[in-house]
Amino acid sequence: MAESSGTDPTVDSNVVENAAKDRTMIVVTVKTPKDKEEIAILEDSSVAQFKEEISKRFNAKLDQLVLIFAGKILKDGDTLNQHGIKDGLTVHLVIKTAPKATSGSTSQNSASSSGTPQANSSSSASSPVPNASTPPGTGPAIQPPNLLSGFGDLSSLSGMGMGSANFMELQQQMQRQLMSNPEMLSQIMDNPLVQNMMSNPDLMRQMIVTNPQMQQLMERNPEISHMLNNPELMRQTMELARNPAMMQEMMRNQDRALSNLESIPGGYNALRRMYTDIQEPMFSAAREQFGNNPFSALGGNLDSGVQPSRTENREPLPNPWGPPGTAPSESRGTGSSTTTSSNGGTAPSVSSLPNPLGINASGLGNGVFSSPGMQSLMQQISENPQLMQNMLSAPYMRSMMQSLAQNPDLASQGSNPSADVSPSQQQQQLMQQMLQMFAGGAVTPEVRFQQQLDQLSAMGFLNREANLQALIATGGDINAAIERLLGSQPS
Amino acid sequence: MLEEFLTGNDLYHLVKLWAYQGVKVPRNFRLLEELEEGQKGVGDGTVSWGLEDDEDMTLTRWRGMIIGPPRTIYENRMYSLKVECGPRYPEAPPFVRFVTKINLNGVHNSNGVVDTRAVSALAKWQNSYSIRVVLQELRRLMMCKENMKLPQPPEGQIYTN
Repeated sequence: MAESSGTDPTVDSNVVENAAKDRTMIVVTVKTPKDKEEIAILEDSSVAQFKEEISKRFNAKLDQLVLIFAGKILKDGDTLNQHGIKDGLTVHLVIKTAPKATSGSTSQNSASSSGTPQANSSSSASSPVPNASTPPGTGPAIQPPNLLSGFGDLSSLSGMGMGSANFMELQQQMQRQLMSNPEMLSQIMDNPLVQNMMSNPDLMRQMIVTNPQMQQLMERNPEISHMLNNPELMRQTMELARNPAMMQEMMRNQDRALSNLESIPGGYNALRRMYTDIQEPMFSAAREQFGNNPFSALGGNLDSGVQPSRTENREPLPNPWGPPGTAPSESRGTGSSTTTSSNGGTAPSVSSLPNPLGINASGLGNGVFSSPGMQSLMQQISENPQLMQNMLSAPYMRSMMQSLAQNPDLASQGSNPSADVSPSQQQQQLMQQMLQMFAGGAVTPEVRFQQQLDQLSAMGFLNREANLQALIATGGDINAAIERLLGSQPS
Repeated sequence: MLEEFLTGNDLYHLVKLWAYQGVKVPRNFRLLEELEEGQKGVGDGTVSWGLEDDEDMTLTRWRGMIIGPPRTIYENRMYSLKVECGPRYPEAPPFVRFVTKINLNGVHNSNGVVDTRAVSALAKWQNSYSIRVVLQELRRLMMCKENMKLPQPPEGQIYTN
């Protein structure tokens, strides 16, 4: 395998050595805004090793090098493999003109400068000693005495009126007080002493971790201990706590993020949960009693009455799991949902059974339920609670949710269904498909392969006949069926 | 091209399936292209992007990196971003937010979220735009007079919310 940097003796010897050991060399392009070099390196190298090579080639010190790949900074301890860096790919390099140490020390300066005066004041623990002088020195790393003196200072804060000798008690008291009096928090925060302490992440962490309530919390939520290991995070949390306005803004942003959640794919999980919450009461209501209208909870204006005058005769429907004679109802089901969708809301085909949920399709509330496909689905469900149960447990529930999530117009506000034509068409198609599935026969291959059919449709194979054929041919083997289906698709 | 990024039979099938669904073809193939470009370093080397999680088959969550332009206050700093390409991408613009703290007009101070109205690539989004375009524009914004001298938070701080 020819490697490009033939002139570099180091690389040459690497190549020879490693060819013998049967390890693979890859060539990675390293690009700076000004420059570009190709560097050969072992596939399983660490980032640190890679940097060594780069440092030689670019004539820069190791600690000046920052490597970026696919939007992430490569840490020394990582391996190239970890980041998916393979032969022929490009890594971005930034050569920092100012080494890391300088910028990193600013946060440490205040901590270390506070170290000195604090060490002095720890002996006089009874009085709060504001740290008047915090010279921005070029001090070395944080001194151990900080920890103890930090504690000492905290108990000195007790002189502010809490009167507790025991440190733990003190912490708890402080906490309680803080909860009830936000002003006190700002007072405390403004104390330069506390500020110095805050900028010492280790100290902060210590304090938090020794709090028993915190420990409980950490046990229940491991993410919290994770958070504690991030000093930046902690610092910012404290800042946040100190600034109520910021807190409010954060809350608002969260609300905004929540509403954004609906329009992103990850949000369908949240949506799904939400729907389950809504559907559970619906389902149990449908199960228990006819005549009750669970949809009233959904808001919007509903016709709560039963509407027998709008019925058509749909005899076969009541038993979707009956003998193959349900085929007609299958197409009718499709027909009805199509008609519904084209009529945009009225419900021409309602079962001769009493309509337990009294659904006026056009009257359903906002959001998801106002889509034509959904409405027809709801009708079907209302006619047969068993349907509901099947639906809830069906795997393609997920694809329904997905399609809902994919159409934020419907999922969130539902006020402007005319916005997107194609997604809602797809959704309707999905609905129809679902209905077809529901109306499938009893012991036919359709039923036998019900689960597989569900899976196939969830994966996006929308041609039910073809799916069925494939499953029959492969005896229910999904993977083989997929191969078959793909083999027959245009490539 | 596809084979490079996939592991597992199922995933392979899944991607092939994408090819046959009208709505998803543009999005997923587009994103796969962008993924490849990100790995090959297309562009001038001042921005970088890639999937946040290589196993993310929905190709939704991305990470970006902008290298602060020289002769500005952002020089020598690396700004990490999160980019989220929703289900309607590329018809709809992605959500972008800074992870690394930055003081830049159009970026919310509290959480790094990029204001769509402030970035013309987002405000006047076209489906021919890409993650790279957005990152490059943000970098250009850093070079604007109104931004290039804004005092910045200490290096390395990140937004937590």
